[in-house]
Amino acid sequence: MKKNLFTLLSALAIVSLALAACATPAPVAPTAMPAKAFRIGLVTDVGKVDDKSFNQSAWEGAQCGAKETGGTTKYIETTDPKDYDKNIAQFGDEGYDVIVTVGFALGEATIKNAAKYTKAKFIGVDQFQEKPTAGVGGLIFPEDQAGFQAGVVAAMMSKTGQIGAVLGTDVVPPVYRFGEGYRAGAVWAKKDTKVNIIYHNDVGFDKTFTDPEWGKTTALSMMDKGADVIFGAGGKTGNGALLGVAQSKKGFAIGVDTDQYLTVPEAKEVLLTSAMKLIVPGTCDLIKAVKAGSFKDGNVVGKVGLAPFHDTESKVTAETKAKLDEAQKGLAAGTLKTNVAPVKPAK
Amino acid sequence: MAAQTSTAGDRLRSILRVADLGRFGMIILLIIVLMGVVALVGAKENRVEVILASFLATLFSVATPLTLGALSGIYCERAGVVNIAIEGMMLGSAFFGFIASIYLKQAGLSDQMSLWLGVAAAILTGALFALLHAVLSITFKVDQIISGTVINILAIGITGYLNRQLFFQGNVPHAPGVLPVIHIPFLADLPVFGKIFQQQPVAVAAVLLVAITHFVLFYTPWGLHTRAVGEHPKAADTVGINVYFVRYANVLIGGMIAGLGGAYFTLESVPSFEPLMTNGRGFISLAAMIFGNWSPFGAWAATLLFGAAQAMQINLQYYSTSIPEGLDFLKKSQIVGMIPYILTMFALTGIVGRTTPPVADGQPYEK
Amino acid sequence: MSSSPESHSGSKLIQIWQAITRTVLIPVLAVFTALIINAIIIRVSGGDPILAYLGLWEGAFGSPKAISETLVWSTPYIFAGLSVALAFKGGLFNIGAEGQLSFGALISAWIGFALPKLLGTSLPWIIHLPLALFGGILAGALWGAIPGWLKARTGGHEVINTIMMNYIAVLLTSFLLNGPLKDPNPFNVIARTPEIAESARLTPLIEGFRVHWGIVIALLIAFAVWWFLWKTTLGFEIRTVGANPDAAKYAGINVSRIIVLTMSLAGGLAGMAGAVEVIALNYRQELGFSIGYGFDAIAIALLGRSHPLGVVLAAILFGAMRSGATRMQFLTQIPVDIISVVQALILLLVAAEEIVRFIYRIKAPKETVVLTRGWGG
Repeated sequence: MKKNLFTLLSALAIVSLALAACATPAPVAPTAMPAKAFRIGLVTDVGKVDDKSFNQSAWEGAQCGAKETGGTTKYIETTDPKDYDKNIAQFGDEGYDVIVTVGFALGEATIKNAAKYTKAKFIGVDQFQEKPTAGVGGLIFPEDQAGFQAGVVAAMMSKTGQIGAVLGTDVVPPVYRFGEGYRAGAVWAKKDTKVNIIYHNDVGFDKTFTDPEWGKTTALSMMDKGADVIFGAGGKTGNGALLGVAQSKKGFAIGVDTDQYLTVPEAKEVLLTSAMKLIVPGTCDLIKAVKAGSFKDGNVVGKVGLAPFHDTESKVTAETKAKLDEAQKGLAAGTLKTNVAPVKPAK
Repeated sequence: MAAQTSTAGDRLRSILRVADLGRFGMIILLIIVLMGVVALVGAKENRVEVILASFLATLFSVATPLTLGALSGIYCERAGVVNIAIEGMMLGSAFFGFIASIYLKQAGLSDQMSLWLGVAAAILTGALFALLHAVLSITFKVDQIISGTVINILAIGITGYLNRQLFFQGNVPHAPGVLPVIHIPFLADLPVFGKIFQQQPVAVAAVLLVAITHFVLFYTPWGLHTRAVGEHPKAADTVGINVYFVRYANVLIGGMIAGLGGAYFTLESVPSFEPLMTNGRGFISLAAMIFGNWSPFGAWAATLLFGAAQAMQINLQYYSTSIPEGLDFLKKSQIVGMIPYILTMFALTGIVGRTTPPVADGQPYEK
Repeated sequence: MSSSPESHSGSKLIQIWQAITRTVLIPVLAVFTALIINAIIIRVSGGDPILAYLGLWEGAFGSPKAISETLVWSTPYIFAGLSVALAFKGGLFNIGAEGQLSFGALISAWIGFALPKLLGTSLPWIIHLPLALFGGILAGALWGAIPGWLKARTGGHEVINTIMMNYIAVLLTSFLLNGPLKDPNPFNVIARTPEIAESARLTPLIEGFRVHWGIVIALLIAFAVWWFLWKTTLGFEIRTVGANPDAAKYAGINVSRIIVLTMSLAGGLAGMAGAVEVIALNYRQELGFSIGYGFDAIAIALLGRSHPLGVVLAAILFGAMRSGATRMQFLTQIPVDIISVVQALILLLVAAEEIVRFIYRIKAPKETVVLTRGWGG
């Protein structure tokens, strides 16, 4: 019996080794699909496609694109920046039609590989293009404008004149723009509003967006001191802030990225709105454009805006709505500027 | 008469020694200093009592999982088994406790019921991880630090993998919420400071467990056996204590407490699980345990100090515009964030009193 | 393990056989068993283990490019694994490789980009390159020496102190990369240093592939560590302190000095891992780089039984898994976390070799190797 087990396992080992040896060249072949399917590949930044943040939104956008174009989609999650090239090449070598790279950190790798894989179109989410590169569309968002509108609502709704924001880290430019836009909007709406912004800079880069417990504690700490509207922006850390407000049952919360009424249902009662950055439709539309042949190189400005008020609709004052309307019109017309730097100034 | 006072004095001194009040006092002093810095900076913007109340509230909520982690370590290590797997145990229990609460809710149980059973599941998960640790390190005599490392890596891999497989692609779980707040009578009704006494069950349990652990370790036969096994297993064996049993039992108790700590994350603090959400707090608990010299009150004080450091970090950002000229480093959250780690290193140098691990800590026992 | 001269050839053969089973057979069987268990986990959770492993294999060794990428991943693993292994030999547990590595990389990058500007002149590579490399090594050594010194002087345990030093390194790096050392290029949005000067760069080993001279240096260093530990007096002293500090004290070895030395060397090796990543691969340091090398390094050192050759093999295995994971995920869309599960299983089976011995009925030798000694050492 004992001997048998050993023999069995040895046999298994040999078989699996043999399999591995024989089959090595094989898997390349089946990728040649019957008809020419429209294929979309997505490479995440260091992070996961289920991060409830930009990687996930982009992945949902890719799935939407696949559905709309009748194509297929796959993702690769990056575990280390040194793999950016390799992961993009994985799709490039397979002859994918669209390669979505997510996050500003992949900007250079995207441009470099666009030169190499000229057949593919690249969609760089959050990647500002200094100058147009053949085959690369940079999907960028004026997060400061979304933050600005959130700030207007927050300032108008605050009874104490104090509002707060619990953010991921200002190392990430979109987060910085959300935060500073929020500050600018609040001060624009009501000059004396006191805006406190707290970043989760005190942990490693990999942990700053994944700490809901900290987000909650921080939001509660702000509310203790009189802040009554909290903007939570920074993946799960920000979600923690929304949950903190929900549990305290006083004041209001404002979400980020998507309509968080849907993604953080526990905070429904206190959630005023969300500063949306519509990565999903933005990515999806660009993929459709590739399929339709209307894809253009260079920057594409995605939509930002505020989510509906939902359950708190009745509590939002007419004054607030009027001021928000004014802000939205001004921002759209370009007469109102947020004056937020694209990146946190070094000094 | 004189003899009597001296014996009473001796007794008091010996009680103080086991309670490690000197260390406790030193650490509390440090906390007061941190609190003072914040109060001074923030005094321009808020009333001092508001600042202090808010500071303490943050401090206690940060300290809760750390306290449970440290107590978990104390049970294991007092019995002679090093436990660096607290991080993995907490992460694993946070996940499985959360999962249990979701599925129980789906199965039709009330929110409250699913939450409480979720806590039980978290404790059970902690116990299972602890059992693995015990089997490896006590029975197989695997190096205890290695066994702990295995559990840490395993917990990260399994929770990350399962979390993806279960909750991705539109499969958003409907969590039953969080554990209810307990209003501690009278104290919870105090003005301003009242809310410090409005705590959720795990936080309350953490504080109670500090006192219980202290009592168990120093005033019960079980505690005596535990310490004997941790200090001198051979001698304990000769007087008839079953070394293996005592070690197994304490490691399991430790695992259960770490499991309760895990429950804090997903069932008490926020109703969601995120991969890696314990964010190194298990290692901080370990540091707190050593900082507190393996004594429950000392370790508790140390976790409060970590809580205070976190509270300071949050508050200094909040009051960043009021930070006086010349103290600009207090505005750099990364620099302020280093304070607890530097403090720990200082503490280990013996400034707060030398730390001495149980003598047989980390050594497998061979008959 | 040493055989007495009296023992006849038969028992010597048995000893050699035991040595082989310990150092080779058990780890190989552990890896194999872990892969089987892992396959079951993948299968049960709805994945296709055969396709996953094929992808892993193909991604790691399926083409010259794949092999090159595997070696790129293995290089820092070898250095960091040697760092942990060397500390184990001296009876110390270096959880701090992570921090030593990132601090080493930071200093190396700084020397690489800032030194020519500071001196106002470009440097010849023969000076600049070694400076950048040794700067990183020294920085890592310093980061390791602090916990070593604290341990020798005050008894503060290196496990806690190295963990604390990791956190401090993370925060310091994050502060510097997003502040004083950030690439000032107005279009730069990433928290990273400027690129290092050409004169501080190591060239690729083969044109067209990313594998670089670092792998050669790593192998040389692995040999040097072996030679140092087993062929020099200092190495002997380190091993003696690791095996039994009390005996070492009686033998007249300055234990405190050896502890500081061991931790400095371990730190230096980890620092070298960071430095080589900067000068040979990334040409800069970027935030987010170095996530988890230090912890993987512990597993590598354990799997390699703290022997330099074992470390090299284990590092190549781990490098292959990390590198091949891309292809695996491309083919199967399985979360990469599964790699952590395999690693934990391998480590578990190597650590608890009784399990492996039990499954495959291999007799156990009497003696056991002490790797760490809890807090007590």
